[in-house]
Amino acid sequence: MMVPVRCFTCGNVVAEHWEEFDERANEGDEDPEKVLDELGVDRYCCRRMLVSHKDLVDVVSPYQ
Amino acid sequence: MSAEYDVEFVEREDREARFLVRGVTPGFANGIRRAMVADVPTMAIDTVRFVENSSVMFDEQLALRLGLVPLTTPPVGEFGEDETVTLSIDVEGPATAYSGDLVSSDDLVEPADENVPIIELKDGQRLEAEADAVIDRGKDHAKHQGGVAVGYRHLQRVEVEGDLPEFEDEESRIIRGVIEDDGELVSTSEFDHDLSNRYPGKEVRIEDVPNAFVFHVETDGSFPIEELVTRAADTIAERATELEDAVQL
Amino acid sequence: MSYKCSRCKRDVQLDEYGGVRCPYCGHRVLLKERSRDVKEVDVQ
Repeated sequence: MMVPVRCFTCGNVVAEHWEEFDERANEGDEDPEKVLDELGVDRYCCRRMLVSHKDLVDVVSPYQ
Repeated sequence: MSAEYDVEFVEREDREARFLVRGVTPGFANGIRRAMVADVPTMAIDTVRFVENSSVMFDEQLALRLGLVPLTTPPVGEFGEDETVTLSIDVEGPATAYSGDLVSSDDLVEPADENVPIIELKDGQRLEAEADAVIDRGKDHAKHQGGVAVGYRHLQRVEVEGDLPEFEDEESRIIRGVIEDDGELVSTSEFDHDLSNRYPGKEVRIEDVPNAFVFHVETDGSFPIEELVTRAADTIAERATELEDAVQL
Repeated sequence: MSYKCSRCKRDVQLDEYGGVRCPYCGHRVLLKERSRDVKEVDVQ
């Protein structure tokens, strides 16, 4: 629903980078690999947290 | 500790560092690593009292998210194991509640990252909660882990043995970590982790330097690297004295 | 017990005789409102 706060595998805090990543790589047309490099998300365990995430708040909120 | 015990930084940033430790046994190096991950007490939110939560997520889910937010940890002795610090959050939609919206009752304990989204609130939704942070160890819950992705490798020494035969194809020799070359420490990223870039046409031999370890340490922001490592060493000392007292007749 | 009708969104009080039904619009789907108490949750 919301981005996981930390990486499941290593425990690094990844959520703080989500909004910028979403804006640049998902909404924008930048290369996700380059965006992650610039954000300093180096390990592949942390990278998959952001790459594979989908926000679902907008999907569920009408059913409150 | 042996006489040639020595610590030298290779890379040093705010939350990430690499340093070389000489003159320790492999057992002690691993002890330090384990202490950094599981034995250094850090602050984290442990109980949350929800006054209002009309967001799309359940109280328990939000409590977990709040618990995982890293908090700055006060100096040693400032807080006991059973003392708490109260943080409160009150956000009304349409807005996103961030970790930076947490208001702490103590300046020593603040969210280490301000931009962690807790929950996106739509029009009319509201999150009002009070949270108690406690000090505890990583072995009890991952939220109390101060060190993230802590590891070490042997320091490796590279020696040039001679030239490669003239017509032999040059093969890449991949190596990661830090190498020692004539007493100089070189990170393998400087030559793209490939020794054939650094010593073209040469035959090289790699060997581990005994009792020298290159640590790679990251913190979640609870405290700086130096603090984490020294506190880890302190917890080992504490355990050692505890053991000594326990076996004394 | 206080409920809310899912169709007309009005507050509904249920008693043991009336059955599960909104007295204003007759709708049979009622939602239970969140308690006003402060809820304490442990982080796990």
